[in-house]
Amino acid sequence: MRRGFLAGSLVACALLAASSVAAPPTLIGKPAPDFVLKSLDGTNLRLSEYRGQVVLVNFWARWAGDSRQEIPALDRINTTYQRAGLVVLGISVDEDLRRAGEFAASMRVSYPILFDTGSNVGRDYFLEKMPMTILVDRAGIVRYSKTGFKLGDERAYLDQIRELLRE
Amino acid sequence: MNRNRRSVSNIACAVLLTCGWAATAGAQATDASAPAAPDASAPADAAPADVKTLDQEVQGLKKDVIDLNKDLFVLEEELLYPANTQVALYLSMDVGAFFALDSVTLKIDNKEVKNYLYTAREADALLKGGVQQIYLGNLKAGKHELVAFFTGKGPAERDYKRGATTIFEKGVGAKYLELKITDRVAKHQPEFIIKDWE
Repeated sequence: MRRGFLAGSLVACALLAASSVAAPPTLIGKPAPDFVLKSLDGTNLRLSEYRGQVVLVNFWARWAGDSRQEIPALDRINTTYQRAGLVVLGISVDEDLRRAGEFAASMRVSYPILFDTGSNVGRDYFLEKMPMTILVDRAGIVRYSKTGFKLGDERAYLDQIRELLRE
Repeated sequence: MNRNRRSVSNIACAVLLTCGWAATAGAQATDASAPAAPDASAPADAAPADVKTLDQEVQGLKKDVIDLNKDLFVLEEELLYPANTQVALYLSMDVGAFFALDSVTLKIDNKEVKNYLYTAREADALLKGGVQQIYLGNLKAGKHELVAFFTGKGPAERDYKRGATTIFEKGVGAKYLELKITDRVAKHQPEFIIKDWE
């Protein structure tokens, strides 16, 4: 009888845990967690210093194939919308700083590449899969989040960016 | 104990004030909505005065909200960092011609308590005379060791890393220490000093 009760309790706990896992945490509508990271050129950049501009934050990794497709698309977006008030920040979560730096330099992107070697920023942003793109509005609120990338997704980014730039 | 009671009573006061303010605001809103109908038929030249009064009321309410936020912040600070165990560390830069600050790492009793990266704007603000509260925490009374590591660009744009250490005595009251970065013109080198503010 007692064993049955114990087993039942365990199942209930497991179900509760599963239900809590089922709903992934989201930052949409909440203030973007601030961070300061070292960039490829050696300067430190802080997210909150871009308040008043629309910021696209892209978490990427050298080993994530989708990132290799997404980075050139983001570079084109940056080139076009930079003058309109868009800031693109690429954040590498590679642990090997040297190889990540080499890879970033080889991509020759026009926007800053930052290094989150301790994965602290990724944790704050509930980063689970790579790549992940976040859009932060002029008030510093997260307005859009997308995990993964396939060709054509940049059109969805553009729609969101145009809307945020108009606000 | 008495302090905690005082803090709790302060919070209670703040909550009551908030409730009172909300009730007042609600009443004002009701009052404002009540005569809305007759106002609609009032002459058109009366409208700007009403708008002005309403604007003043809104400004007043905004000020009340800011004041309440300030009180709550002070209360929170008092609860989290009681003054008798408080240790505050400040960082300042004087001149800085021989050193461009990049980051500071602080260790108290061999435990890392802060690692701060400086952006160009922040370093510039420090050079202009700004003082940064880099760490606020609590320590028990007694002797403690503080080690600060400063990294950046030194003379001739070379990577530069220096440490400064001090042993300070934490008494009954709050403790304030200042990390000062100054230039030693004679040696063309930066100097890192930890100053104990009694």
